[in-house]
Amino acid sequence: MRRTYELVHHTRYTYDQPVTTSYGRAVLLPRDLPEQTRHTASVVVAPEPADTAEQLDYFGNTTSYFAITRPHAELEVTARSRVTVDRPELDISALPRATWSDVARMARPGGTVEADRGEGVDSTDGIGLVQLREALLPSRHVAPSAEVREWAAPSFVPGRPVVEVLVDLAHRIRTEMAYRPGSTTVSTTQVELLDLRAGVCQDFAHLMIAALRTYGVPARYASGYIETQPPPGRPKLRGADASHAWASAWVPGAGWLEVDPTNDCFVDSRYVVLGWGRDYGDVPPLRGVIFTDGSQSRLEVSVDLHPVDSPDAEPGV
Amino acid sequence: MTDVATPAQPELPAGPDWSWLPEDTAPPDAGQLADARRQTITALVDRGVTYGVPGARQVARNWRLDPVPHVIDEATWSDLEPAVAQRAAVLDAVLADLYGPRRLLRDGTLPPELVLADPMFLRTADGLVPARHGLVLHAVDLSKDPSGAWVAVQDRADAPSGAAYAMVDRRVVAQSLARLYRRTSIRRIGPFFHALRRALDAAAPAGVEQPQTVLLTPGPHSETAFDQAYLATMLGVPLVEGTDLLVRDGQVWLEGMAGLEPVDVILRRVDGEWCDPLDLRADSTLGLPGLVRAVRAGTVSVLNPLGSGVLEHPGLSAYLPRVARAVLDEDLALPGPATWWCGDSTARGHALAHLDRLVLTYTGPGRRSRILGWTLDTTAREQLAARIGAEPLHWTAQELVTGAAVAEPASALRTFAVADGEAYQVLAGGLALVAPPGEALVSAERGAVAHDVWVIAVEPETGPDPWALGAGDELAPRRAVALPPRTAENMFWLARYAERTGDTVRLMRATVDRWYDHARRPATPGGRALGVLLDALGASYPGGWPEPDPLAAAISGRRERRPVRELLLGTEPGAVGWSVQRLADAAAAVRDQMSNDFWLPIASMERVLESERAAQRAPGSTTGLVPVLDRLLEALLAVAGVAWEGMLRDPGWHLMDAGRRLERALYLVESLEATVTADLPDEIETFVLESLLIAHESSITYRRRHTAHPDVANVLDLLVTDEANPRSLAFQLDRLRSDLAAVPSHVPTDRDRVAQDLVDLVRELDPRSAAAVVGGRRDQLVEHLESLRWRLRTLGDEIARAHFAHRPSARALGDPWGLS
Repeated sequence: MRRTYELVHHTRYTYDQPVTTSYGRAVLLPRDLPEQTRHTASVVVAPEPADTAEQLDYFGNTTSYFAITRPHAELEVTARSRVTVDRPELDISALPRATWSDVARMARPGGTVEADRGEGVDSTDGIGLVQLREALLPSRHVAPSAEVREWAAPSFVPGRPVVEVLVDLAHRIRTEMAYRPGSTTVSTTQVELLDLRAGVCQDFAHLMIAALRTYGVPARYASGYIETQPPPGRPKLRGADASHAWASAWVPGAGWLEVDPTNDCFVDSRYVVLGWGRDYGDVPPLRGVIFTDGSQSRLEVSVDLHPVDSPDAEPGV
Repeated sequence: MTDVATPAQPELPAGPDWSWLPEDTAPPDAGQLADARRQTITALVDRGVTYGVPGARQVARNWRLDPVPHVIDEATWSDLEPAVAQRAAVLDAVLADLYGPRRLLRDGTLPPELVLADPMFLRTADGLVPARHGLVLHAVDLSKDPSGAWVAVQDRADAPSGAAYAMVDRRVVAQSLARLYRRTSIRRIGPFFHALRRALDAAAPAGVEQPQTVLLTPGPHSETAFDQAYLATMLGVPLVEGTDLLVRDGQVWLEGMAGLEPVDVILRRVDGEWCDPLDLRADSTLGLPGLVRAVRAGTVSVLNPLGSGVLEHPGLSAYLPRVARAVLDEDLALPGPATWWCGDSTARGHALAHLDRLVLTYTGPGRRSRILGWTLDTTAREQLAARIGAEPLHWTAQELVTGAAVAEPASALRTFAVADGEAYQVLAGGLALVAPPGEALVSAERGAVAHDVWVIAVEPETGPDPWALGAGDELAPRRAVALPPRTAENMFWLARYAERTGDTVRLMRATVDRWYDHARRPATPGGRALGVLLDALGASYPGGWPEPDPLAAAISGRRERRPVRELLLGTEPGAVGWSVQRLADAAAAVRDQMSNDFWLPIASMERVLESERAAQRAPGSTTGLVPVLDRLLEALLAVAGVAWEGMLRDPGWHLMDAGRRLERALYLVESLEATVTADLPDEIETFVLESLLIAHESSITYRRRHTAHPDVANVLDLLVTDEANPRSLAFQLDRLRSDLAAVPSHVPTDRDRVAQDLVDLVRELDPRSAAAVVGGRRDQLVEHLESLRWRLRTLGDEIARAHFAHRPSARALGDPWGLS
């Protein structure tokens, strides 16, 4: 189902004391992909920055740098873009039936993917050996633990196709964890999450990634959005009106498969991808350093992703 | 009986090996050697050579240097030199690959996880490393294995330290073993530093003529702060902290008092991940936000490149031989120790089976640490095995490289290589470190002692003076280097502490003089005058004296009293010992601005105080203080001499002089308040005024002008209003005004108005009427001195506001995690 969206992501910081200088880096511009066409995209910062720069990072995401060098009491970052998403409907039964332990055997150091390299074969679906192996490593916000191993064990039934493991993990997270904004922070660990049994989409993505990596399945983190107002007859998804996050796992023969544990579904044309990384730390929507004598700030974020008729339609209000 | 050849046991030489000396040169005997060692320690202290954290609360440990040189003969060096250069070239190629095409990971020459799991692999630096000679400066620690072959024990590539220690070692040893040094033909190490200077210029962004280079330091509390400052001085580049720099318009600027100056090259001693809180570690206060942006824009070169720390991974050693063949098509001439990176399952098996014989290095997030397997008991070894099993990617096992003799102390030779033209130039020598007995790991941090390294040259070196290279006929433009506010502030306070020390010492000496005559007779005029002087100092009365006169306490405004000895030797605020320490701290923070001679008097003051502390004299006595005070004054005169005769009259100097004038003016006002505002009986006042004149170095002038006993009006005339007296208030204010005129303020401030008020106040003071006593008091003088004191303090604040403006502190923007 092909859909075109108008995307507005607005962030506002209000400070108690003037800020003399702000430096910021945003990952707020959607990626241009075969299944996701970026028509227009821009980040507008107020007050007007003295310096801006855009670059592709190590993971291929577009990042925007800005520096404001005059005093200000408020910082607004508005990302606007127009994208067309055209993801084919996923037929689960048609996906490769490789088991999770097959995947682990292929991807691990000295595994069959590495052995194939000598023959000049690319058995990584174009991902590349280095990226695949990177997706198995612990990262700043996703650490291996006995707790995650134990929690995930029932999903990793011997002989189960990796696609079914993904379905099961997403379903368990959706049913076992409460979606509760504000219950966690960027430093909440998966062990703490399993104890809390509540979190936000970033936590659920991290938990899913942790489980997959623990059992040897390459997994990465995706930052993006889902449609704010669902199509008629379909429920509004959790994580709409905000930055969303999900997981992506390697299914040999199919490449990266994107799964949203928060909503217990595979990613379809209702989703827009901003970027991928090892975890949240690689793709936070906005980070920055400010110079101020103050200590308080208020943060407001709003996200609007709504469909438009065509890439050239007048912007909505 | 048959002859059985017993293998010769390697023996430890009883003393240093002098066999390399020319035949006609006698080795030093035990006495000469002991002298040389004493002289070395003195020379290091005199030059302020420290290692470890200097600071008021923690005494800086002096750099430990044994003058006995480590000698490398020419044949050995001619093998070693190209091997060190080759290792640098191999690592340079690895660096360029890891932050570029990553072929070594894709084709499996290096296991990808070794690099990808290393926190020192900075993904942010991807694409920012030049294809060649990104690695400008490389150091490697070498040890000898039992066969006598050199082994590269540890590479230092992120921000290598020690080259400046090698230089200062050479300078010190050349003096303490002067006879041997003259008679031996030794390769010079100076050319290495010229090459480094050339390399920094060569690394400048394209199109930049005469690049501005800075050395980025974590600050004076860094362990190797001396090395950094000394290197900056040798290279002639400013030593700056992250807060002295800022990024604007995609370019790095040095924030000077007069504005911003572009920076083209940064030689960094801040570890890579701490360099930019925006794009690297958010919790770092040592870097500057936007640095990565500027590097990416190509407007600044950071050396070594951000991310070079990945080359320090000990596990690389296991793969470097095949890497060398892959990148240079050469065999690695200088291999590392036998190494097993535990991310490889076979290697891990070997490591776990031999834990009791291996050194284990942890390279995961957080601090790098090394564990000596043989020091662990069974339980600890099992725990270690479990840690390795849980995080195998972060552990590397290595054999310890030990020499042939079992009892020989562990030692290492740190060599340095710099990218120079087409190749790497190796420092001819380096830093030899010898671990203390029983210590297997060699590092200054673990108490190793340094030795200078003498590479013997058969042919005396000839060649042009490197400074002459490239010099044209034309005079180079005089280049003013921006003065960061932090540096200006340290110079201002350095002068204030020096002056405060001198003022206190002078008043103390004048007071102690009275002590000897009058301490036993509190009720006599001399005794009562001593009481007034002790009040002015804030010192306790001699034992057996009545409690301080409440009136005197009210006049001096001091409630707290300390014994004179404590006021001199103590390390609490207000004591001379404290001021000297603060003076040394401030000087250490601006070491690159000061002449090396500056450290001599500071070392001498510290030495004098230290030996008097050790003298353990009777509590409350002032015995032995005068010689101490004399030595301190002598040193302070030297400080003033260096400042006056040896420093360029730049804005930093003027602020330094302003600090000294301000402090002297304040002390003058305070000492007048404490002595002449009360109406004392004439016979007491005479004693007090005489001491006051001595304390302010004005008694000779006074005696020449006046034959009678001193009186208050004439003393005020000489100490307050006489513009020709270099100790007078009028003189200080005159100097202050011309200093301030030389450093215009760029922010709105009351600085100049307050300075003018002070001048007016002094002009308005009529010594005759100020000295007049009305109703038993000198109210006009009291009021006048109070206005002066208050304005002097305001002036200090205004100078700070105008010139030392601190940027607001940096903090991270709130994280939008999970927000809607």
